[in-house]
Amino acid sequence: MSFGRPPSVNVGFKPTPPERGAFPLDHYGECKEQMKQYMECLRDNSSTSSPCRLLSKDYLHCRMNKGLMERDDWKNLGFEDQSGTAVAKEPPP
Amino acid sequence: MYTSAVIVATLGITYASVPLYRIFCAATGFAGTPNVGTGRFEAERLVPVEGAHRIKVHFNADRSETLPWTFTPQQRFVTVLPGETSLAFYTAKNNSKQDLIGIATYNVTPDRVAPYFSKVECFCFEEQKLLAGEEVDMPLLFFIDKDILDDPACRNIDDVVLSYTFFRARRNQKGHLEPDAADDEVQTSMGFGGYEHAPKAETRNEKK
Repeated sequence: MSFGRPPSVNVGFKPTPPERGAFPLDHYGECKEQMKQYMECLRDNSSTSSPCRLLSKDYLHCRMNKGLMERDDWKNLGFEDQSGTAVAKEPPP
Repeated sequence: MYTSAVIVATLGITYASVPLYRIFCAATGFAGTPNVGTGRFEAERLVPVEGAHRIKVHFNADRSETLPWTFTPQQRFVTVLPGETSLAFYTAKNNSKQDLIGIATYNVTPDRVAPYFSKVECFCFEEQKLLAGEEVDMPLLFFIDKDILDDPACRNIDDVVLSYTFFRARRNQKGHLEPDAADDEVQTSMGFGGYEHAPKAETRNEKK
């Protein structure tokens, strides 16, 4: 990074870049459905992340399928303990 | 007999020295060998520590006044376990009539949590271009390293605040994108507001 560190400090807190860089922008909202489901789950569970991990796995799976994220093993992303996918909610008729 | 044994042994060592040197370099990082495979993102580190004390991560969003975007977090906070990778979302909307490129910086408070807060993937430090009027969701995948449980200084941490600040982007002399704002504004957004800074190399050289 050309700007990401204070000019006079040699050691200490370095704003470390994320391991995989930046998520490409989802300009067309292709994974918006999975995102909405995840946000609803968070709301229902008072923003505790553990019950909603399967849905976050779904969201990342959607991103991988649409080419918005590099494919990788689930264990490298920390989702090895989650198997399968959450049941997709049927949209109301 | 003895001499030939010594000769054979020396020959063997010279053959083995190349891989041995490599192992030595990888283990100690001598001569700038990058630390691969010993990083914070190994699969074993990304396992939630069941039963550990939950940490509440609050989300904050700021933007520079020169950037006509609306930038908000989609959730006020998430409570996570150490070692558990969690997803969070921000939304950004370009309210202007032109396509704009923004670049985000982030900061984690309190400072002692910062070494344990790791982002697997996010939307910071790289340019994000939004077309005029476009609204987009920006995800962030992060985790708090489980070593935080072993750190006595972090024993009573219940709340962590993660702040993102979006700036307009401009190209500097080297052609890299950087925030289009005063240096002290950028440093404050990264939590270095209270520190004195030496002038950057570019400004020092300009004055000559």
